[in-house]
Amino acid sequence: MAFPTPALACWAGRFTPQVNLAPAALRLEISGSLRLFGGLPALLQRVCEDLAAMDLRAQLAVAATPLAALWLARVGGNVIARDLAATRAALAAVPLTALQLAPPLARRIEGFGLRRIGELLALPRASLGARLGKPFVIDLARALGEIADPQSCFVFPEHFEQGLELPAPVAAAPVLLFAAHRLVAALAGWLAARNSAVREIEWLIDHGHGRTTVLPLAFSAPVYRAERIERVLKERLDALSLSAPALALRLCAPQAEPREARNHALFDGGGQRQEALAELMDRLVARLGPQAVQGLACHADHRPELASRSEPGLPAFRLPALPPRPLWLLNPPEALREVQGRPQRGGALALMAGPERIESGWWDGGDARRDYFIAIDSAGRWLWIFRDPRLPGGWFLHGIFS
Amino acid sequence: MNPSLVQVLERGDIRRGDAFAVAPAPTLASGFARLDAELPGGGWPRGALTELLTEHEGIGELGLLLPALAALTAAGQTVMLIAPPHATHAPAWAAAGIRLEALRLVLPRRPRDALWAAVEALRCGGVAATLLWLDELFRGQLPANSLRRLQVAAGEGGGGAFCFRPAQLAAAASPAPLRLQLQPAGRQLRVQLLKRRGPPARQAILLDIARPADFSPRVSHVVAGTVLPDAADSRRRTRVAA
Repeated sequence: MAFPTPALACWAGRFTPQVNLAPAALRLEISGSLRLFGGLPALLQRVCEDLAAMDLRAQLAVAATPLAALWLARVGGNVIARDLAATRAALAAVPLTALQLAPPLARRIEGFGLRRIGELLALPRASLGARLGKPFVIDLARALGEIADPQSCFVFPEHFEQGLELPAPVAAAPVLLFAAHRLVAALAGWLAARNSAVREIEWLIDHGHGRTTVLPLAFSAPVYRAERIERVLKERLDALSLSAPALALRLCAPQAEPREARNHALFDGGGQRQEALAELMDRLVARLGPQAVQGLACHADHRPELASRSEPGLPAFRLPALPPRPLWLLNPPEALREVQGRPQRGGALALMAGPERIESGWWDGGDARRDYFIAIDSAGRWLWIFRDPRLPGGWFLHGIFS
Repeated sequence: MNPSLVQVLERGDIRRGDAFAVAPAPTLASGFARLDAELPGGGWPRGALTELLTEHEGIGELGLLLPALAALTAAGQTVMLIAPPHATHAPAWAAAGIRLEALRLVLPRRPRDALWAAVEALRCGGVAATLLWLDELFRGQLPANSLRRLQVAAGEGGGGAFCFRPAQLAAAASPAPLRLQLQPAGRQLRVQLLKRRGPPARQAILLDIARPADFSPRVSHVVAGTVLPDAADSRRRTRVAA
């Protein structure tokens, strides 16, 4: 791992809030996370999977002290030393070059004919201090866990904003998903470390020359899982065409909110259904646009064409008892012919009930005065038709009962 | 009976030709006892496609589903309408007992999007029933295999899946395990089971579905009678204006 970035430190937040960002290494204090992830092998498995998905290569080592973990990782990793005894044993085989000592010190140790830490440890510690200096001996003691070695923790920023340069310009929006993966992983880690969730995030697609496409992504419920965010992003990118090739990608989460405590509903079927539905709605909106995904609510207006709203409006609107209303409304109403005073639609319509006069809207210019009838046509369709008493022969089909 | 034959008949994937198949999933009560008696499992299937074929819309095809949909939404379950043919009139749906908060409408502009949305909605375990109007969007030319995709998706999601289709397709092959042809019969609705899991249905059944008015030509005559003078009156006014 040559250049661990703040984005990578954010990703590591998924495993532990105690992350140390060293010049060429990322150190995670995982002792508190083992149970959550179901043990060390399972946790390491997840780390490896994540790294592979981000197309990153890393040398992993587990040790009982931060310094030992760093040295073991430097010499190739693949070492797991769960306690101090195992750490001491593992360190014995580590070549002294892994310590990256200052050249004069390294030359002096080489002059003693020492190659590995184990050979060094065989010598009396007091004489080592006299010959190689106190700081070196202190480091050795820290690596062995003989004295404490507190590390500075990566401070997860208050607001998430991370970006990356694309290795090559990207012309097709769906291809951005791959690059976006790293940023989503970083966001998910950041959210995990802060135990928070987001309702909206914003993607900034940089086309160079100061041109940027802003791609907001909204969720119906707070989200924190990377998979969930990516599935919605995928639909949005699939439906997007870029105005110019993308050179860089940036992800911002301006507002995070505390994650709700997992309630019991989440563990029964109801909670799972809710979550599945919320994700479906988000994906539908991402792909089809917000206007294509609607709810339905009643609105207090006598004019039938204004009695429906696509979003819940005022709560608990009590419906007055109305005569039967059709499930479907035709917008605009379809003009009907009249023969001998009888409305026609593929033959004369038989009027079954009516008239019901609906008069409304004089206060907002949408003046409507209509006499409604329930009619059946020769094919057996149940129709809702009206006539404007002021217009001669003005029959219209306004709804279908279905 | 031969004991080994008895064993064979006890297997879930074997059914006798004269008995209903074992319903794989619990069904949704249709709200019509006569219909439930004819449906395998005693109700609308979940996790399988149901085709409702009509020659015309407006004959009560939705009225047939409303009791089941009302029960689902009353239990807080979600019902989704994909590409409905007209604007939904909220007061009517509410009056039919549908809890509007549990209703979601998807109005895709492109046919391709409608099919995608249909598959996703059917696959989603969070949707208890999905109603589809796809044929009109595709001008009667649903892409090959789309019904198969819908049927598979319904199996994954496990909700009710109701596809409204034109009656001309009654003779066409379909992967939907349940196909009903609907015809108006005065105040009633004639339901012919074209296909079901189990023995073929012998005759159509007549159901009393909710209608907005009594079916009585006499009433219509009286109503028309009240209209006519008024209409004649308006014609007089036109003459005056002319």
